[in-house]
Amino acid sequence: MSDKAIDIYIRPEFESGALGTAENVDVERELSLLERISNINAVRKLSILLGLVIIWQFYTWFSGVEPLLFPSFVDSADVLWKTLLNGVMFEKVWISLYVLLLGYAAGLLIAAVFLMLAVSTRIGSDFLSTMTAMFQPLPAISLLPLAMLWFGLGIPSLVFVTIHSVLWAVSLSTHVGFMSVSETLRMVGRNYGLKGVAYILKILVPAAFGSILIGLKVGWAFAWRTLIGAELVFGAAAGEGGLGWMIFEKGDNLDTPYVFAALFMVIVIGLLVENVIFRNIEINTIQKWGLQR
Amino acid sequence: MSEIKAISLFVRPEFENRGIETAVVGDIERRLSVWERVSNMDPVRKFSVLILLVVSWELYTRIGNVNELMFPTFSATAAALVKAFVEEGLLTNIWNSLSLLLTGYVIGIAIAAGLVVLGVWSRFGADLLTTLTAMLNPLPAIALLPLAMIWFGLGSSAIVFTLLHSIIWPVALNTHAGFQSVSETLRMVGQNYGLKGLPYIYKILIPAAFPAILTGLRIGWAFAWRTLIAAELVFGGQVMDTSGQLGNEDSNAGGLGWIIFANQMENQTPYVFAGLFTVIIVGILIENGIFRNIEDRTVRKWGMQKA
Repeated sequence: MSDKAIDIYIRPEFESGALGTAENVDVERELSLLERISNINAVRKLSILLGLVIIWQFYTWFSGVEPLLFPSFVDSADVLWKTLLNGVMFEKVWISLYVLLLGYAAGLLIAAVFLMLAVSTRIGSDFLSTMTAMFQPLPAISLLPLAMLWFGLGIPSLVFVTIHSVLWAVSLSTHVGFMSVSETLRMVGRNYGLKGVAYILKILVPAAFGSILIGLKVGWAFAWRTLIGAELVFGAAAGEGGLGWMIFEKGDNLDTPYVFAALFMVIVIGLLVENVIFRNIEINTIQKWGLQR
Repeated sequence: MSEIKAISLFVRPEFENRGIETAVVGDIERRLSVWERVSNMDPVRKFSVLILLVVSWELYTRIGNVNELMFPTFSATAAALVKAFVEEGLLTNIWNSLSLLLTGYVIGIAIAAGLVVLGVWSRFGADLLTTLTAMLNPLPAIALLPLAMIWFGLGSSAIVFTLLHSIIWPVALNTHAGFQSVSETLRMVGQNYGLKGLPYIYKILIPAAFPAILTGLRIGWAFAWRTLIAAELVFGGQVMDTSGQLGNEDSNAGGLGWIIFANQMENQTPYVFAGLFTVIIVGILIENGIFRNIEDRTVRKWGMQKA
């Protein structure tokens, strides 16, 4: 007789009852029309936009909200259409874009000079990193009072703050990009005997183009925001300007539909620049070169 | 007769090398001089750049005979900064700005989190989120300030409203994009553990997408800081417009942007520079003190980001 009895559980035998016959359900089936349509991204997003517009319109109709405070969609669209037709809107857009382009181009030029110095000498590199560390956290718009003091009211002040908002973002990101270009690529460049500007243009810029593009995008975002902000401040102080000024002036006069129309234009320009211009540059450069998937 | 082509080979004349000196091993390793060692230190070089800038500023304003009202000397600016700190309660103004910023930041992140959770849960939420961010992200928040002033009046709620707008969209956009690029493997690990709903988001999606979230928070902060200063500048103008006088001076009511604006209006240019300095310092502190620390403790510790 053993001392330890080990209980082993033995599952009783059983027989499965009626399983039913196996049937082929539809492994593959045509999606219904609704499912197919709702699988299209654009349709879903457009219907959300439509939904928002309808909610907006019904809200302004039925809640009895003061149209001066919150105009209906129809009123805003009407004003937008009218101002587009009589050219007022384009004029405002052009004033804003002109200043923006001027500031952006000048900012890029200055950034290029700084970067060339930074690449060629150590003191240039130190200078650039100190300046960017100092000025990058400073909102460009806060220089506007100084700019107005130095350059007076007008386009030069706007260009000055736009330059400031572009310059540091672009230099910082490009400088970091240049520094992280791999030693192999640099040696290839030196092997070809490239020096100075040719070295920068043929080796550093293509290799660091990803971060340069990020810098350009951030610079654009800051510049656009700064410009609109600056035009608002100018609105307070003097009076001639682009979209920001239009928003401010019409807001002051309680022409709220105009404010909405101008905001809509600001959104459209932002979307165009981001999704058409920068997207195209991205597709034709870093995606084509395989730097980014 | 077959054509015979004469190939002229250049044959290098024989020569003998003369007088090769004995090989000498130069100093392979040598102590750098004190000067070299000092100039190899990064902080030293950067500080000297700063000092050089300050000195050239001071010299330019002193020797160039620049109008004090247009461009004050460095010493005047520094004196104004100290005076503003000690006597005029600049700290209160800093606090006014920061408390507004914080209020906006916290509420903004809460709203962004709500939107992103919706986006994770349902396809409709994701569509709503992407449509809204695509539309509203390119809109500078400051452009909404006139509307906010109509809706909420002059005051902090209008500023908080614009701040919200500048924070919600970049944070939501980056977080959503980060969530979408979380690898399928990690998601399956989460599902394997039976995580669903909020725990799934907290334990899988957020840690995995933290670099993107942090980028969003940083961009949100940068936009919010810029918007806040701009909003305070605009308000400065608005107060001038409506009441014909500058804000109450003893009460330290406004924030940093207001200080810059008010002092410029009164031609106190050294104080404008002092205000700008303070803006820079606050920016650097938040950027390097807070975000750098969060980065060190999370993405860098977890090995998601190098140096």
